[in-house]
Amino acid sequence: MNLLIPLMIIVPIICALFLNLLHKKDRTIKVIAILLALTLPLLPLLASYGVHFFGGYEPLTQNPTLSAGLPSLITGTALNTFHPAITYSFQEAQKLFLFILGLVAFLAILVSLFETRRPSGVYGFMMFMGVAAVSALILTDDIFNFYVFFEIAALATVGVVLVSQVKGNYETALKYMILGSIASPLLLLGIALLLGVTGNVNITDIIASLKSGVVDPQNPVILMACGLIVFGWLYGSGLPPFHTIKSAIYSKALPHGAALLQAFSVFTFIALGIIILRIFSYLPLSQMVIIGVSLLAMILGITMAILQTDLKRMIGFLAVGELGYIGLGLGLGTALGITAGLFQAVNEIVITAFLFIGFGTIYYQTGESDIRKLGGLMVQNSKVALLVLLAGFAMAGVPPLNAFQSKLLLIQASIQAGLPELGVIMILLSIVTFMTFMKAFHAVYMKPRPLDLEIKNDKIPRVTILALFIFLIVCLVLGLFPQVATDFLQGISTSLAGGIP
Amino acid sequence: MNLYDLIVKRIKDAQEADSEGPVTNVSTSAMLTAEITLISSVLVALIMLRLVNNVLMIVAVLVVLFAAVLAMPTMPRLKREMNDSINGMIFYVVLALVIVIALFYWGSLNV
Amino acid sequence: MIMDTQLASLFTAGALIIIGIFAAVFLDNLIKKVIGLAFIGDGANLFLIAMGYKPGGIVYIYLPGMARDWFAQNAAYPLPFALVLTSIVIGASTMAVMLGIIMVLYKKHGSLRASKVLGE
Repeated sequence: MNLLIPLMIIVPIICALFLNLLHKKDRTIKVIAILLALTLPLLPLLASYGVHFFGGYEPLTQNPTLSAGLPSLITGTALNTFHPAITYSFQEAQKLFLFILGLVAFLAILVSLFETRRPSGVYGFMMFMGVAAVSALILTDDIFNFYVFFEIAALATVGVVLVSQVKGNYETALKYMILGSIASPLLLLGIALLLGVTGNVNITDIIASLKSGVVDPQNPVILMACGLIVFGWLYGSGLPPFHTIKSAIYSKALPHGAALLQAFSVFTFIALGIIILRIFSYLPLSQMVIIGVSLLAMILGITMAILQTDLKRMIGFLAVGELGYIGLGLGLGTALGITAGLFQAVNEIVITAFLFIGFGTIYYQTGESDIRKLGGLMVQNSKVALLVLLAGFAMAGVPPLNAFQSKLLLIQASIQAGLPELGVIMILLSIVTFMTFMKAFHAVYMKPRPLDLEIKNDKIPRVTILALFIFLIVCLVLGLFPQVATDFLQGISTSLAGGIP
Repeated sequence: MNLYDLIVKRIKDAQEADSEGPVTNVSTSAMLTAEITLISSVLVALIMLRLVNNVLMIVAVLVVLFAAVLAMPTMPRLKREMNDSINGMIFYVVLALVIVIALFYWGSLNV
Repeated sequence: MIMDTQLASLFTAGALIIIGIFAAVFLDNLIKKVIGLAFIGDGANLFLIAMGYKPGGIVYIYLPGMARDWFAQNAAYPLPFALVLTSIVIGASTMAVMLGIIMVLYKKHGSLRASKVLGE
């Protein structure tokens, strides 16, 4: 059923647009939103692998009736194999990514419906729209289409922050947009350069024309395009120098919004990272730059995280730092490294969402996220405290939880690739990550309670606890049976590594 | 006063100069951890220069080690550098753009 | 003609981008900053559309009576035109959101100076 492929983008867009038509009928909206959000993880599970051509225009070689009467100027040249349609390709890796995105989106939307008390309105719109955009980022094989959805995802991110009513959200959103308005036209410029040289925006065709020698791969224009696209990648995923603004954005969103936003950034990171590796892997410099930037992100992100006093900002910086692990895997350029990196991406999305929603209960109860003003909340809800502790264990890589498996794979891959130093740094920073988490955990749950701390909402919605449990189950399943995820990733990593095991 | 006390004292001084809230044990130890993490991971990362040249690696590690010890509380400065002011962020963004473009344009042509 | 049209467009695009970055870095007024940012976007769009320029080309609409081979050889490249239209729309919506946020911030702070509104 290849019809399901476009539906993965159409369903969230329809949710975004039409749920607001039922404004004020809160119960109906709640039920419909939950049902439709449930289809987000289900659609990729049901769809079969394949390619979707929008408008039905497949390449001429695949459609003899269309190419019958055309002049040899078209059929006799490379034009015959070009993709005229916007192509969406749904393979094993995309299935896993979309399932995880759908799951995180479903849980974040579910929690938000019960915690915000206003089911209809801009917040839900922005969340669904962002999910649609990021699904398209994962599926698309067309680099301009990628740019369009990249911008929509950025606008949805800003929207989620604007409606959060956290202090200072407008200022942070404007800063993000200003930086974005510098970076994304430059990404477009990179795409325009690629278009100018190869005459195409379809990634498969660009690679074909680079490989077949139609275009000289060492052409300076292509090198420039690679630089600009890498710069856009830094912006889209929040690598340095964008790590400060990205973590600020997470901290100004509501916790469930932040859980979704970090999933957006990680998926943008791997989607554009895969595109860079696919097109430019023949440049040794591209992999070196990926490794360098990832190291910088890890070191700056995690050392800045430990200094923060705002709970959400702290997890935001940790989320940026953990991006570095994925980047190291991709930058190693071996099949094992890329598998490990992508697996780490999946794990990180689940764990960071787990942490954001888990610590979000504190924000829900007290309206406070400064750790100096919090304390003693273990008494209030020891169950949630245990779940949050497990999330912290998962992030640090304690067996049998999932990040242990992916970090182990990453370290093995770095040793195999002849760079054991990266493994040492990863272990070192994992320890510091855990220490950062314990600092936050101690400050929130175990420190004596400050006298002026007010509890606004005593009861945490049951749905929140359910969502935390589901995250824990996913962590355990991926930790005990890592093959469940890595089997989906084998294909893409072998093809990206180009034969290096 | 041994070396540890000296380092902690200098970190506390630097934090007091920043002064956003009281200097507590937790914040000082966090700063110390960040400092040590920064130095050690940069040093370990520098070892990768061995792929280029062994002598270069040794020289670079020693130089960075001495520079780090001399300029000991680097973390407060780094934290101040990575603040949320828009002009600072735009400056770093444009700097990164220049570095990335220069690296790809000239780096790939001459490697 | 002194300069080729395509080359002139590319130079203009480069100049727009540089002016835009300059404005974004050095101007303090938020509205002026946004105008500068619009310049960057415009530069990228101009660059993109200049990619589709073909000296002596015809509009890429296939009319009755045209020979297929002749049309295939002379039509301009249609893809950049389609792309630039999309990209202009995105740029406009981004700018609308930015100006909207600036309105809210102006009501809140009573100033348009970036150092006051966004300063720490």
